[in-house]
Amino acid sequence: MHAALLTLGFGIVTASILALSAVAFTLQYGVTNVANVSHGEILTIGAYAAYLVHQRTGSAPAAALAAALAGGLTALAMYSSVIGPFIHFGASPTVIFIATLGLSFVIQNVLVIIFGASNVAYNLDPGAPQQIGPFLLNPLDQQIVISAIAITVVLFFIISRTKFGKALRAVSQNRELARVTGINATRVAAATFFLAGLIAGYAGFVLAETVGSFTPYFGFGFFLITLTAAVAGGLGRAFGTMAGAVIVGIVLEVVPALPVPFVGGYISASYNLAIAFGILALVILFRPRGLFTNARRTVFE
Amino acid sequence: MTTPTAGPALEVRGLTKRFGGVIAVDACSFEAPLGQVTGLIGPNGAGKSTAIDLISGFKLPDSGTVLFKGREIQGLPPHQISRLGLIRTFQSPREWPGLTVLENVVMARWDPGREGFFSGLVGLGRAHRVKAEDELIQAREILDEFGLSALRNERAGNLSGGQKRLVEFARIRMAAPELVILDEPMGGVNPVLGERMALAIEGFIASGTSVIVVEHNLPFIERVTHHVIVMAQGTVIAEGPFESLRSNADVVDAYLGEQVRQ
Amino acid sequence: MSAYLVSVLTEGAIFGIMALGLNVIWGWSGDFDLAYYGYIAVGAYMTLVLTIGAPIAPAQYILGATLPYPLAVVIAVISAMAVALVVGSIALGHLRGIYFSIVTLGAVYVMYVFAGQFVPLFDGYNGLSGLFDPMGDWFGLDYFSYQYFLMGLCLVMFALVYFLMSRVSSSRFGMALRTLREDERAAAAFGRDIYRLKLKGYLLGAALGGFAGALFAAYLTAFNTSAWSPIEVIVLYSAVLVGGRGNIRGVALGVVIMGLIVNESTRFLPSLPGVGAFNTDHPQVLLAARGAIIGLVLVLFLRFRPQGLLPERRFVDRQPAQPATDVAPLTA
Repeated sequence: MHAALLTLGFGIVTASILALSAVAFTLQYGVTNVANVSHGEILTIGAYAAYLVHQRTGSAPAAALAAALAGGLTALAMYSSVIGPFIHFGASPTVIFIATLGLSFVIQNVLVIIFGASNVAYNLDPGAPQQIGPFLLNPLDQQIVISAIAITVVLFFIISRTKFGKALRAVSQNRELARVTGINATRVAAATFFLAGLIAGYAGFVLAETVGSFTPYFGFGFFLITLTAAVAGGLGRAFGTMAGAVIVGIVLEVVPALPVPFVGGYISASYNLAIAFGILALVILFRPRGLFTNARRTVFE
Repeated sequence: MTTPTAGPALEVRGLTKRFGGVIAVDACSFEAPLGQVTGLIGPNGAGKSTAIDLISGFKLPDSGTVLFKGREIQGLPPHQISRLGLIRTFQSPREWPGLTVLENVVMARWDPGREGFFSGLVGLGRAHRVKAEDELIQAREILDEFGLSALRNERAGNLSGGQKRLVEFARIRMAAPELVILDEPMGGVNPVLGERMALAIEGFIASGTSVIVVEHNLPFIERVTHHVIVMAQGTVIAEGPFESLRSNADVVDAYLGEQVRQ
Repeated sequence: MSAYLVSVLTEGAIFGIMALGLNVIWGWSGDFDLAYYGYIAVGAYMTLVLTIGAPIAPAQYILGATLPYPLAVVIAVISAMAVALVVGSIALGHLRGIYFSIVTLGAVYVMYVFAGQFVPLFDGYNGLSGLFDPMGDWFGLDYFSYQYFLMGLCLVMFALVYFLMSRVSSSRFGMALRTLREDERAAAAFGRDIYRLKLKGYLLGAALGGFAGALFAAYLTAFNTSAWSPIEVIVLYSAVLVGGRGNIRGVALGVVIMGLIVNESTRFLPSLPGVGAFNTDHPQVLLAARGAIIGLVLVLFLRFRPQGLLPERRFVDRQPAQPATDVAPLTA
């Protein structure tokens, strides 16, 4: 029982980071109807920015701020240099999917040229674990979970209460209609990418400090899990995505810890991606609009 | 070709489809006579398009039967219905935009013997070439008939809306089905083309293809149809020759009146 | 002929077969399939486990037979098709556009993770090795003459596949695949069983992938997960895109161009000695520069020339046109 709760505790931490990454991804999807495959690189750049600032200033809050800012600027640059022009040019979502895959590859390799491909160690002292309710969490984990909740609350406020949030929702629901009613869809999309980038950059920072090291390829691997969470929650639905992230995050931590005999051992955590994609395939096949809506489609319907 | 001497080209009985709580098609029943042009009209949201999707297999009905040549076809996938000889068009022309007009017409005929992977590889024999050549000649003749010869090497996606409609008609001619369902063939088309469309529909009948035509353009319906079915709120509210419907109070109320009032 | 040229030509022929296979799926059927590299890998792995004999501890892998190479290739191709049948029958059923791409991306990651982690299958990350000069002793070839033999074999196989694909391209089967790419509903309305047709195209593509993988195994003498590096995969997609999706001449041209970029582009980088970062003499940096260039080529082509250098050619009917009767009023 104790071990199970411990695992669940890790699951909550993973889920928090995943929720941040997935909500950032889904915000971008919502305003453009395009899956940004280079989303993972926002996290990676956030991690590098945090690392560099942390090294120079020794301040974790400064590192977090740098990560968010770097992420925001990266996402904005992605929108204005690739995604926006492609949309303007009338490219299909699949074409933009491929283009952002290419962009992701460019960024990864540029990062390798600048920083090298080897692991960057980013170890912070997590502090002594404390008993929080039924879970055992160290102060770092606590900060991650609390900050994820805080960001969610702020995001909820922005989306539901501000003028920008209203415009964002309008563009997400119907780009053309939004344009007719005088909303500058391009500017709203750019601002949304910046906002999503802030969140994703910060997610990159907390992911790096949780894992303890990272490489230029680190964000891409996490993107694949992010994609699972976002699809499970319903692409483009911010809060459904968060729920999807919590489920996927916990499943990813819990399944490898299950005492399922699997060729001489238990299912190793290295199968994470395989498990994530197993979930993804099932969701897409049986609940193509996400776990929380009930609609099956055929090719023609 | 042996056609059944009796019986309608298509018979629909109690066809029903719900989307969530909304009933799109509600116990809809009608017959389309063989060798005639049947019009299917009704106000927007009457369920005409859904009915066509259900008949042609693009949507699955919740209940009801569709009899084509005396055979139940409801629930079959679209390609099987098409292979039985029932072909439909769509509200917006669905040409294969990257293929040429000629290719669009040639590929409208499904050829089970030559479309497999291996027949593509080994189909170099004389019989194969002769058949392909025959097909090409026929496609050229059809394009001539529709005045599209000069455009035959053009990519179909580059054509105007009216020209795309004609390509669609040429494709139907090539496929030579026993029944064709035309979904708003006059939609977005220059009225000058109307007469040409009407002649094409007469051509279908002459070549043994029965026709069901869904259309909002009532003069066109009056011009081409032998028999009209009126749908409203998912079900058939009246049918008969177009003239007889002018005086039908239900029809005037549900549909024609809408236009009169406007 | 220099050893460099021999290896470039051998590799080019193998990549050419891979690209022609991808072209069936992406160029003709129109599905952006990210699982494609998995079929190449299955072809390579299966060829190896069927030819290199029983594993010697601590290595472990399945089968471990010593079949003649050509027989192993046949079984490897069938295996690749079998895996493609599983992925394809799931992914092609209801999924299109990015959902298809995402599920195939998932499928290839599952394959990758299993190949790397599940040691009893193909010895995990160590992978398989020991396929030396298959068929070489049938002809009494030494190591050096074998390189020429393998190059010749790969070039002949490429020519054969190219010929077959040019037949398929103009056949009704090839045309039917294109009708799916152009408009699936219309294809179904005119009698095409879109699911079966797409699946057939998918299996044909996967078979070519598996076949190229089998040749790749002979060329590399080994195969492991590092051969799945993203750069290998992206090069393949770039080659098809740059040359011209759907046009097999274009695909061949794309392979030549991407081959030149892969092998020659970094030659012109200024030599910048440095410690680690920016050191353009460092192999890692060279590889990354190459990757960045390839990714950039992909993005730029998608944006400015998505049809590729040689766009798909259409059949042009040369018969003299009948005088157009009354085309004028049609322009609505």
